[in-house]
Amino acid sequence: MTRSVRGLLLRLGAPLQGAAHRNLLALVVAAAALVVGPRPSRAQDQAPPDSSLHRFLDTLADSTDHYFGLIAAPLDTAGLDSALAAGLARPWRGPRTRLRPRFGPVYAFNRVDGTLWGGSATLAGRDGRWRVGGDLGYAAGSDAWLGGGELGLGIRRRETMWSLRVSGGRRTALMNRDHGERRLASVRALLTGSDRQNYLRRDGLAVAVGANATDWRAAVEYRDWLESPLAVTTRWNLARSALAAGDNLAASPGRAREVAFGGDLRLAGSPFRAQLNHQIADKAIGSDFDYRRARLALGGEIVAGGRVSLVPQIVYGRLAGDPVPQASFFLGGSRTLKSLRSDSLGGTAIAVARLELIGVDDLLALARIPHPAMVPLQGGVFAATGAVWGVDPFGGPGTPNEGWPDRSAWMSEVGLSLLYRPGMPDENAYLRVNLAWPVGLHGGRARWSVSYSRALDLLRAF
Amino acid sequence: MPYLALHAIRRSHPFAPSGAALSRSARSLAVAALLAAPPAAPSPALSAAPGPTLAVEDTMRTEVPEVLVRAPRVTLDEILDRVARGEARRDSLLRDVAFTATLRVVRDPDGAKGPQLIEERVSRVYRKKPGKVRTVNLRTWRLKPSKRMDAEVSFSSGTEEEIVNFAFRPEARRDFRYRIVGRDLLGDHLIYRIAFEPRSLLGATDPGGLVWVDTRDFVIVRQELDFSRSPAPLFIKGIDRAVIERQEVDGHWVLRRLLMRAHFTVPVPRFGRALDMAVQFDDYAINQGIADTVFAKAVRP
Repeated sequence: MTRSVRGLLLRLGAPLQGAAHRNLLALVVAAAALVVGPRPSRAQDQAPPDSSLHRFLDTLADSTDHYFGLIAAPLDTAGLDSALAAGLARPWRGPRTRLRPRFGPVYAFNRVDGTLWGGSATLAGRDGRWRVGGDLGYAAGSDAWLGGGELGLGIRRRETMWSLRVSGGRRTALMNRDHGERRLASVRALLTGSDRQNYLRRDGLAVAVGANATDWRAAVEYRDWLESPLAVTTRWNLARSALAAGDNLAASPGRAREVAFGGDLRLAGSPFRAQLNHQIADKAIGSDFDYRRARLALGGEIVAGGRVSLVPQIVYGRLAGDPVPQASFFLGGSRTLKSLRSDSLGGTAIAVARLELIGVDDLLALARIPHPAMVPLQGGVFAATGAVWGVDPFGGPGTPNEGWPDRSAWMSEVGLSLLYRPGMPDENAYLRVNLAWPVGLHGGRARWSVSYSRALDLLRAF
Repeated sequence: MPYLALHAIRRSHPFAPSGAALSRSARSLAVAALLAAPPAAPSPALSAAPGPTLAVEDTMRTEVPEVLVRAPRVTLDEILDRVARGEARRDSLLRDVAFTATLRVVRDPDGAKGPQLIEERVSRVYRKKPGKVRTVNLRTWRLKPSKRMDAEVSFSSGTEEEIVNFAFRPEARRDFRYRIVGRDLLGDHLIYRIAFEPRSLLGATDPGGLVWVDTRDFVIVRQELDFSRSPAPLFIKGIDRAVIERQEVDGHWVLRRLLMRAHFTVPVPRFGRALDMAVQFDDYAINQGIADTVFAKAVRP
């Protein structure tokens, strides 16, 4: 009561001007003082004219104190002066830079390496200015030691973060260089053998320089990789099922030396981002392959009514030159067409368009179904169409590698998604259960899929 | 007395930009004054107690001519521009700052056993532009001491206080929606209350909130954050309340307190079901000319 009256007084009394108004204000203050009681009000304190703002803030702070209680108690200053004198007298060697390496296990499972066991170690400086790390593991299926190291340096200049990254090693990489799942694919492969991604071996290094600002990102990378095909070595899984993909698309062996450019720009005056990735492999820089690969993506979010997000995305890509499988485009899976199996179609050109509507509300709460607070489920609907054309990396007859596909190459779908955002390891990523129905010329059965990705999943993470 | 109180309220400031809000407040106060008046100043006619008879003043009136204000009202965009400039100016006026920072953590603030302080760290922080910072640990107290915990709280060298103005930086303007919630006239300060909310609904969105902006300097003097969705639903049920307060010290607006209460989805070791966290900033010394020797590092023997 006391505080609320004080707050009203402060609001009311402040604007009064002139002698008559000051008199009236004094009367109002006197009347309110009777309400407040014998304790002197802050409003009655002798204070400079503009202190009413501070008293107003004090009133709000009082309310905050009341809400938070113990944690808002004033500081006990006993002994602080002597502690400060002692602290300043002590030699100071700068901010604490004691480094603690972080160690962690590495586990992966796929049909080309089998079980991979290993460990990782990372050492990072304060403020993320540098980071060095590495991992090493033994792949039982391919009987090979796999791993590598990475050094990262970063420096902030105004609003732009500049970075340098040097990485190298021997690793199993994904054939689809635009999208891929690691953890979820391992779980699928281990549990049911349903991992359909294709793999290749890469030995070599990469050096990248990047800049990351609020509205744009850019990176240039030089890659020198010896690429080689991998055979299926492991056919078991916990469900004892037959492998969903009994073979592994063979990469063209050879040394790939690439210069890659990437750029990501937020389009002014719109909610959209445009992203361009371009890779050039040329015999002039010692590469066994000669190709130019470009991929342009556009995506954004349009909020409708504060409850749903409309997420349109399009992507277009072309590969010119040597049509090596490891540089091809792949269609199918959670990030392109969900009604197709992962990477089931390939080509030297791709076009995909998707429109998705994602609701923000918890579906279980809307349906008044009791559920734990940790499981808010969102819903979404989507429609998509896409095509790949050109040289088929799977050895099919292919189609002409022109700028646009034949009408019959387009495949379309509609579907529903249940989305759950756990907030970790990627705070923006959703675990999705999708049900997609093919529509149009190709038809087919509805298909369930599970994926873990951000909403704008046609835009690649840098 | 009651009559005078009411009359004074009716003559509220004619230039007040938020007349509706003021008149509501005025009505509240009038009711409060009326309720309070009888026991404090009993009517002579009703009073049975002996003593002097008090006269009731009912002739005092004031008339204030109406003034028609033709100036255009400042647009929201203009206010946001000024806030961005005001915050930048606030930062530019700070050359060096020293303050005492107190970090506190309380577990189970609304639990059956009551709140329990589990950690308090007090540090004296010296900042000097460009890029110098030193933190002197003054006190570290933990309910259960642990050797693995770092005893030093880390502070950046910047004085921008981005935690206060993150939604009002020029580059953040298109990530948020803004609306004026109200205006309060306090003395010769006009305070705008501006609500903001993230435009995006996808992923872990930025928090929304409400700021109080003093239009004298166009600085944010208080902020309450609103986390409509948990940043990590798997573990954090929600952030119930987050308050950021500023204070004016020697003409500069600087942080006073950051307070936050969060609830977890499952009991977390050491913190329980809920957690209060606060950082309090006291004993400021601003632009006092911190000697460079304070930041001089000792040479290793």
